[in-house]
Amino acid sequence: MAHVTALHLKYKYPGSDTLALHDISFSVERGECIGIIGENGSGKSSLCQALAGLIPGFYKGAYGGKVLLDGQEAAHMDADTLCRKVGLVFQNPFNQVTGAKLTAYEEVAFGLENIGVPREEMHARVREAMELLHIYEYREHYPFDLSGGQMQRMAIAGVFAMRPEIIVLDEPVSQLDPQGRKEVFEAIRTLSGHGITIFLAEHNMEQIAAFCDRVALLHEGRLICMDTPARLFSRDDLETYGVEAPVFTKLARVLQVRGQDGLFPVTLEETKRLFMEKRQTGAGVLEWLE
Amino acid sequence: MKSISLYEDKGTFLNRTAPESKLLYILTAVSVPALTGIEWAGIAFIALSALLLLTGRVLKKTLPVLGVSGFIMLTVVVIQGMFRRENMTPVFSLGPCVFYREGLYFAFQIILHILNILLSFCVLMLTTKPSDLIESLVRRGFSPRFGYVFVSVFQIIPQMTETMGIIMDAQRSRGMETEGNLLTRAKAFLPLISPVVMSSLVNTRERAMALEVRGFNSRCKKSFLNPRVKTAADRYIQAMELALIASALGWRILLWLM
Repeated sequence: MAHVTALHLKYKYPGSDTLALHDISFSVERGECIGIIGENGSGKSSLCQALAGLIPGFYKGAYGGKVLLDGQEAAHMDADTLCRKVGLVFQNPFNQVTGAKLTAYEEVAFGLENIGVPREEMHARVREAMELLHIYEYREHYPFDLSGGQMQRMAIAGVFAMRPEIIVLDEPVSQLDPQGRKEVFEAIRTLSGHGITIFLAEHNMEQIAAFCDRVALLHEGRLICMDTPARLFSRDDLETYGVEAPVFTKLARVLQVRGQDGLFPVTLEETKRLFMEKRQTGAGVLEWLE
Repeated sequence: MKSISLYEDKGTFLNRTAPESKLLYILTAVSVPALTGIEWAGIAFIALSALLLLTGRVLKKTLPVLGVSGFIMLTVVVIQGMFRRENMTPVFSLGPCVFYREGLYFAFQIILHILNILLSFCVLMLTTKPSDLIESLVRRGFSPRFGYVFVSVFQIIPQMTETMGIIMDAQRSRGMETEGNLLTRAKAFLPLISPVVMSSLVNTRERAMALEVRGFNSRCKKSFLNPRVKTAADRYIQAMELALIASALGWRILLWLM
């Protein structure tokens, strides 16, 4: 059984005439990292919220289809089960600080208190999550005094401490500076090594290509395709959907450097390897450029 | 950005005392003088509160609180001293204004009550972390939702103030006058308030979702990161406070029966 399944998922916000999600179906195996890409308004955030059960639970509006988590319908799960199953990280780190705690340590423990985790276990989990995300040293800091990157890692730690099987990250670095982005992506890399199924909505295609096993391309609420980064970014029609391929892929496309499978490279490492191979076979980059 | 809470950890005995003991202290300080009707009881509690605040090293922080209420107390003195119906005996006059003994005595009684309430609340608010206070109430069955609203206000209001500052700077950079006479400020109000309200609504919705995914609406019995603060001293303090309230109540019943 697939870990996460979307079946003909449809959703329309209250007062809207158009569908934010239009007949979306896919299935995802446990431990997979799925990228969600698309231009603004394509339905990325709506899909993230549907996966986390906030649609239809939190919003009203017209809802159709199903999201199944281990075969159980997310819409029918109670809040307690759902928050143990799925964690959601939002764009704005500020809005994820509860405002009810005076230290980062207490902030990370907030969710665990809500679901009644015993105190000893709570301390162990909070420490583990904070150490994993390299924020344990800030445990006594006032949450609002942390930098954007630290605050976002604190939010991820708060979600991770609840030990969800699925973590959905909705553009988690969009409001961060380059250092903050680096910190958060390192955190996501750490999470993906823990067998957690990850959904990552993001505009940075280089990072999507580097992190994700598969990528879902959304356009006007529809799922255009869901494939490996190499297959998806090798499509010729990407720009039609308001999406650009990673810079390495664009370079390889210009130079027509393809792998043995006929696909363009999507990461720096793949591109370097391919270029080195071509150079060894006597065909240098400069020759292609000429 | 800082919390607007007045609490500061000074590591004193009062900081270590359980919030329930301090809550019960407020109840005692307010109810005992009211039940007994003995004036010196109010004075004694004011003195006790001042002593507690002094030992808690927060007496200085009560001055702004007293300053704000000082104006109200002054108006009480003026109104009661001059215009109380029972006024008969003039004490002194300031130009055409004559102050009477009966009114001034009544104003003194009111001021005693106000000071007693203010200082006893200061004992709680200046020495107790808001989250500890709410946590102790939630442990005793207070709604976690109301508790959250109460605690988060201390931190979210400064955040909103900061947002307002950013919006004000943005509007100024687009040529809007935000300073000057009343009319100028009134004109600036609408273009400022609508983005502030809108962004607050958006932020509040996102924060509500963030709380939801962290189990805020879970029906599980909540657990607490910090152990319950209750020392042996707290037991004695609370027993003493309850005994005082019970005695005052007994005294009142006795007076009523006699």
